[in-house]
Amino acid sequence: MYAIECKNLTHYYGKKLIYENLSFNVEEGKILGLLGKNGTGKSTTINILNGFLQPTEGECLIYGENSQKLSPATKMRIGFLIEGHIQYSFMNIHQIEKFYSGFYPRWNSAPYWELMSKLKVTPRQKISNMSCGQRSQVALGLILAQDPDLLILDDFSMGLDPGYRRLFIDYLREYAKAEQKTIFTTSHIIQDMERLIDDVLIMDFNRILAQQPIEKFMSDFKQFVIHLENHNTIIPETDMAVNIERVKDTIEFYTYATAEEVKAFLAERAIGFTDFRERKMSLEDAFIGLTRKY
Amino acid sequence: MLKSLIYKEWIKIRWLALAILVAGILMQINIFLKVRHDIIFVDAANYWYSVLFRNYQYFGSLKFLPLIGGLGLAIAQYFPETVNKRIKLTFHLPVDEDEILIKIQTFGAMSLIAIFLLLGLFFFVGSSIFFPAEIIIPALLSSAPWFMGGLASYFLVGFILLEPIWLYRGLYAVLGAGFINFFYVSANPGGYAPVLPMLTLLTLLAGFFLLFSGYRFRKGEM
Repeated sequence: MYAIECKNLTHYYGKKLIYENLSFNVEEGKILGLLGKNGTGKSTTINILNGFLQPTEGECLIYGENSQKLSPATKMRIGFLIEGHIQYSFMNIHQIEKFYSGFYPRWNSAPYWELMSKLKVTPRQKISNMSCGQRSQVALGLILAQDPDLLILDDFSMGLDPGYRRLFIDYLREYAKAEQKTIFTTSHIIQDMERLIDDVLIMDFNRILAQQPIEKFMSDFKQFVIHLENHNTIIPETDMAVNIERVKDTIEFYTYATAEEVKAFLAERAIGFTDFRERKMSLEDAFIGLTRKY
Repeated sequence: MLKSLIYKEWIKIRWLALAILVAGILMQINIFLKVRHDIIFVDAANYWYSVLFRNYQYFGSLKFLPLIGGLGLAIAQYFPETVNKRIKLTFHLPVDEDEILIKIQTFGAMSLIAIFLLLGLFFFVGSSIFFPAEIIIPALLSSAPWFMGGLASYFLVGFILLEPIWLYRGLYAVLGAGFINFFYVSANPGGYAPVLPMLTLLTLLAGFFLLFSGYRFRKGEM
């Protein structure tokens, strides 16, 4: 059963194509991280999912309803974190809790107050006078208290220091796994995603580069570091390589192939090397390997 | 849900609403002190004559208070929603998007009308110290377009602020200013009577424009 189904999404801003025929699903109970460089359409996708942007073509369904026309009952099941942890900053933490609690029958203020107790804020301090980290905890606490089935988080890392990022991620992961929640999230800090997500969706300009469980992606996608015998050697184009980065006589060979397959490829083309080793990658390394440095 | 929504809107406007009310009362106190002064020190008969036959509006300084009140209240309510596109939070609440906009606007309009009614009541009570009903009622009717203009400006500023594109905001502001001007043309007492129903109708119609801005925002216009 899918919480989110996006089918054949195509979107243009004016004449600029963002993506074409993009399709993906998010299974219930999974945490999916959407990764992509700036301008690849992450925020566009979030806006379409939340009904704040009508795609040029295609549709997204959330719990079977078109995201452009979500019923109040379905919206009640979705927690939404706006990029920058935007909230009603003219309120204080008591006022905002009182406000939201009137909209959600499943409202449970305990996790909200638990998070608020960690903040050094005065009861009447307005959210606008809080630090970015404190605001992120208010936004997260409100989502947890809402008790939604699906959480859509737009760049939750933005503006947070490492401590707050870790607090945010640990709370979120524990909550999502304990309560069987579905999360669709983006973040520009990829190392945060590694601790959080089950599945990864990596976008490039106009297309999806990878969509699979993160464990499978991290085990299948490899980086081989190869020192060439001759720095004049030209590495021919091959479908085997997703990306080849080269600095003088050292190449970084990114691929889904095995070491043996890569070595066979080099041998077939008589490419000599003095060293061949697989380098363990972090998700950030894999992301850069897949999408290229620039 | 309605209670929560009213709570949030009240937090946004409460101090401004109070300020408009207090400013209106203080202005009226000033007006009545001046009326008292003129009646005592000029001549009561001449003063009454000016009011009755020379169209002297002793309450003229109140003319733009409703307009300022309407503009201010709309800015207090809608500007915080436009900062960082915070209106997304409102649209994400589990309520139909049009319904929630209408409820927000109805609350603001009702608050503005309540302030106007209190000011009108104060004016009636204050005026009745110095004048008979034959002077006070035409005075209230003469000032009715000003208050209607305040309500219209409240509706139009909300519509303009929620519009996502600056160019359109500018266009709407120019057209809106032209429309608001109709309410503040100098006229003899009762001069507005023939057009007041039409202006009322147009003002009420302007109350629905907000839905168009909301629709454009949700469509992703930028």
